[in-house]
Amino acid sequence: MSAQDLGRTATVTREEQHGEFETRYMRINVGPQHPSTHGVLRLVVDLDGEEIVGIKPQIGYLHTGFEKTMENRTYQQGVTYSNRMDYLHGFAHDLAYVLSVEKLMEARVPDRAQRIRVALNELNRIASHLVFIGTGLLDMGALTPFFYTMREREMLLDIFELVCGVRMNFGYFRVGGLYRDVPDEFLPAVEAFLGTFPKMIEQYERLFAKNDIFVNRLKNVGVLSRETALDWGLTGPSLRASGVPLDFRKAAPYSGYEDYDFDIPTYDAGDALSRMLIRVDEMRESLKIVRQAIGRMEPGPIRDPDRRISLPPRSELENSMEAVIFHFKLVTEGFHPPRGEAYVATESARGELGYYIVSDGGSMPYRVKIRVPSLINLQSLEPACLGGMFADMIVNIASLDPILGDVDK
Amino acid sequence: MSEIDLAAVTQATVDKLEPLGGVLKTFKDMVSVTVPRENIVEAVSIAKASGFEMLSDVFGIDYLTYPGHQGERFSVVYNMRNPEGNGRIFIRVDVGEGASLPTITGLFKAANFMEREVYDMFGVTFEGHPDLRRLLLPEDFDGHPHRKDFPLGETPTLFGEGRFLDPAAFRAGLIGADPGLTGWKGGAAKGAHSEQEFGQGAGMHGKESGKP
Amino acid sequence: MGLRDLFEKDVQELENEGILFSSLEKLVAWGRSNSLWPATFGLACCAIEMMQSTNARNDMARFGSEVFRASPRQADVMIVAGRLSKKMAPIMRRVYEQMPDPKWVISMGACASSGGMFNNYAIVQNVDSVVPVDIFVPGCPPRPEALVYAVQQLQKKVRGEAFDQHGVELPMVEGWSR
Repeated sequence: MSAQDLGRTATVTREEQHGEFETRYMRINVGPQHPSTHGVLRLVVDLDGEEIVGIKPQIGYLHTGFEKTMENRTYQQGVTYSNRMDYLHGFAHDLAYVLSVEKLMEARVPDRAQRIRVALNELNRIASHLVFIGTGLLDMGALTPFFYTMREREMLLDIFELVCGVRMNFGYFRVGGLYRDVPDEFLPAVEAFLGTFPKMIEQYERLFAKNDIFVNRLKNVGVLSRETALDWGLTGPSLRASGVPLDFRKAAPYSGYEDYDFDIPTYDAGDALSRMLIRVDEMRESLKIVRQAIGRMEPGPIRDPDRRISLPPRSELENSMEAVIFHFKLVTEGFHPPRGEAYVATESARGELGYYIVSDGGSMPYRVKIRVPSLINLQSLEPACLGGMFADMIVNIASLDPILGDVDK
Repeated sequence: MSEIDLAAVTQATVDKLEPLGGVLKTFKDMVSVTVPRENIVEAVSIAKASGFEMLSDVFGIDYLTYPGHQGERFSVVYNMRNPEGNGRIFIRVDVGEGASLPTITGLFKAANFMEREVYDMFGVTFEGHPDLRRLLLPEDFDGHPHRKDFPLGETPTLFGEGRFLDPAAFRAGLIGADPGLTGWKGGAAKGAHSEQEFGQGAGMHGKESGKP
Repeated sequence: MGLRDLFEKDVQELENEGILFSSLEKLVAWGRSNSLWPATFGLACCAIEMMQSTNARNDMARFGSEVFRASPRQADVMIVAGRLSKKMAPIMRRVYEQMPDPKWVISMGACASSGGMFNNYAIVQNVDSVVPVDIFVPGCPPRPEALVYAVQQLQKKVRGEAFDQHGVELPMVEGWSR
C-alpha cells in the first residue's frame, strides 16, 4: 500500500463500504506543541497524500493583551512591555515605541544616545539572526550549527548584560534617550566582537551554505514571487529575498540611519534558500553599521534635557523648587504628551514594525496599536506551502521566521 | 521617489479622495483622510492606484472615553504606503456600534488577518470576508477586549499578611486620576495641554509645531 | 575477598573497600534524578533562555537532561517556560496528562509562576492552577544558571533530600507502583 492509499483509507466513508468510492483530503493538526522551535503555532493542514492542498494557521495561543495592558501603564512603563513581544529583537520594539512617543512629544534625542541606540539595535539584529540560523538548521536536523551560533550569541548577551543589566528583555531605552551611559568596558567588548565575528560568519557559511543536503532541501522550496509577496503584505528579509529592495532603514530613515553607509542585500529567487542566505548577508551589513556607529560616538548627554520628559539631575534638587516639582510629577504620574496620534515605521529583523500611539493628553496612552511584522508575514505561509510537500512545511515556517510572541501580541 | 514627487503623489491622492467625502487631517509628516463608510473600498482602491500600493495595517480605535470626542464610537484606520517605503497615507472610517464595513480582501490579500483582528478585538464585522472568526482569542471568548468598556481583568494582589491590593485603584490613586480622600486630582486632567485632535497642536516645548 | 566477608565484616569497612550499600528504591530514585528528560514546552522569552541553558556555556546535559523530548510520552519533566495564555491552558493540561508517571513540573519565570507583569484577561496567573508545580523559578527571564539550579533542586527532591517551606521532608519518588 502506498502512502497515498493509506491516506485515503484513513478517511473511508460509509458509502465506500457499500460500493461507492469517495476520496477526501486528510486534515492534520500540527501543534500547538510540536518539535519545531518556533513557539506555539497551530496549523490545520489539508493533505492530498503528501501534497498540501490547504493550510490555515491558527494563532492566539500566546495572546497576552499587550496593547490593552500598555494602555493602563504610563508611557515610561511601556518600555518594559515592548521588548517582551519580539523577544529575540527586543531593541527593535523598544526603539519603535520610543520613537513614536518622541514624535508625539517632539523630544530631541542627543547624538550620543542615537549612536548607542543604533549600535545596540544592530547587535540585537545579529543575535536574532543567529537564533534564526541555529533553530532553522535544528529544524532540518542539523544539530551542530545550533551550538556554534549560540556561542556567538553568548558573546552578544554578555555585551547587553554589561550595558543594560539583563541578557534579554532589556529596559534600557527611555523616551528622550537612554537610561544611563554605557560603561567603559562597552567599547572594548564591542570591538572584540567585531574582530572575531567576521571569521565566524565564514565558518557558518563553510558549515552549511554550500552543503548539498542544505541546498537541495531548500532550493526552489516555498517560492514566493514578487507579486505574491507584495499582495500578501510580506516585509523584511523575506520580502527582500523575493526581489523587492525595501528596507525602512534606507527608505524612511530614523534615529540617524541616513548617516551610515550600508547595502541592502536582495535575492531574486524567492525560495527558502534565499530567505536563509539573505540573513547571513544581513549580519555582515549590521556589522558595518555597528562599526560606524561606535566610531562616531562623541562624549555628551544621553537624555533630552527637557524637564518635562527627563528627570532633573540630582544636584539640582537641592537648590531649585521647580526641579523638585518636575521630579515629583514625573515619578508619580509620568509625562503628558499632547493630544494626537503618531506612527513611525522601523525595520525589525522580521519586517516593518511600528507603534501607532493615540494620546489624549493624559499620562497613559489612549490606544497603542502595534503593527507587528510576524503576524502579517505568517499569512504568506499559505502561498508558500500550497502545492508543496508536507515535509517542506517545516522549512517554510523556519525560513519565514515568525516569532509567536510577536504574532500573538 | 524624491520629496517633491512624493508630495505631489500625496496631494493627487488626497484630491481624488475629496469627491468621495474625504476629510483631510495632517500631523507633522502624517496624512490622514477620513471617508464615509460607503466609499471605503473605492477610497482604498484609489489610493492603491495612485501609488500607495501596499497595505501596512488595518486596525481600530475605540473613542468611547476620549475626552471631547464627537461622532461615531469606532474608527477603523487603513495604513497604506508606497512601494519605495517613504510615503504613507492613513485612510480612516468612522463606524458606530454594531456597524459593519465592506472587506478589502479583494484588493489586498494581506487584509485577511488584519480584519479578523479588528473583528476579534472590537466587534466590527466585515461583509464579504472569506473567514471572519476570532483570531487571537479563544473561540468561545465573550466580549471584545480592546473596547474601553471591557475591563482589563486584573486579579487583585494578595500580600502575605492577608492584605488585598486592587491594582487599578492603586494606579488611579498614583497618577491622580482618582482623587481619593484628599481630592487632589494631580495634573492628569485629560486633554489639558492641547485642544486639537490629530492637528497642529502645541508641542511640549511650547512652540508651534508641525508643517503639513 | 570472598563472599563470606560480605556477611561478616562491618558496613563501614566494606564501604571503604568500595562496596556501596543502598536500598533498591534509593537506587532507582538516584537513577531517575540523574536522567530527567524535559518535554519541550517553551512558550515565550523564557524558552530562549531555556535553549541557552543547553548550549555549550551552560550545559544542562551534564546534569542528565541529555535531550529535550518532543513527545510528552517520553519525557519526565515539563518545564513551563513562558507566559501561559488562557487559550493554551487546556492544551498544556492535555500534554501534562500524556506524560507517564512519575513526572514533575518546573514553572520557569515570573509569568508562569504568578502571571508576571501581565495581570490581565489573557494570562493564567499561576500555572499551579492548571498543573501541580514542583519548582518555581523567579526571574524575567531567569538566567540559564538559575534554570540549571532549579533542575538540581528538583533532583534533590526526587532523591528525597528536599524540604518544603515548613521544614517538612518531601518524600522520595516511588521506585515502582505497588
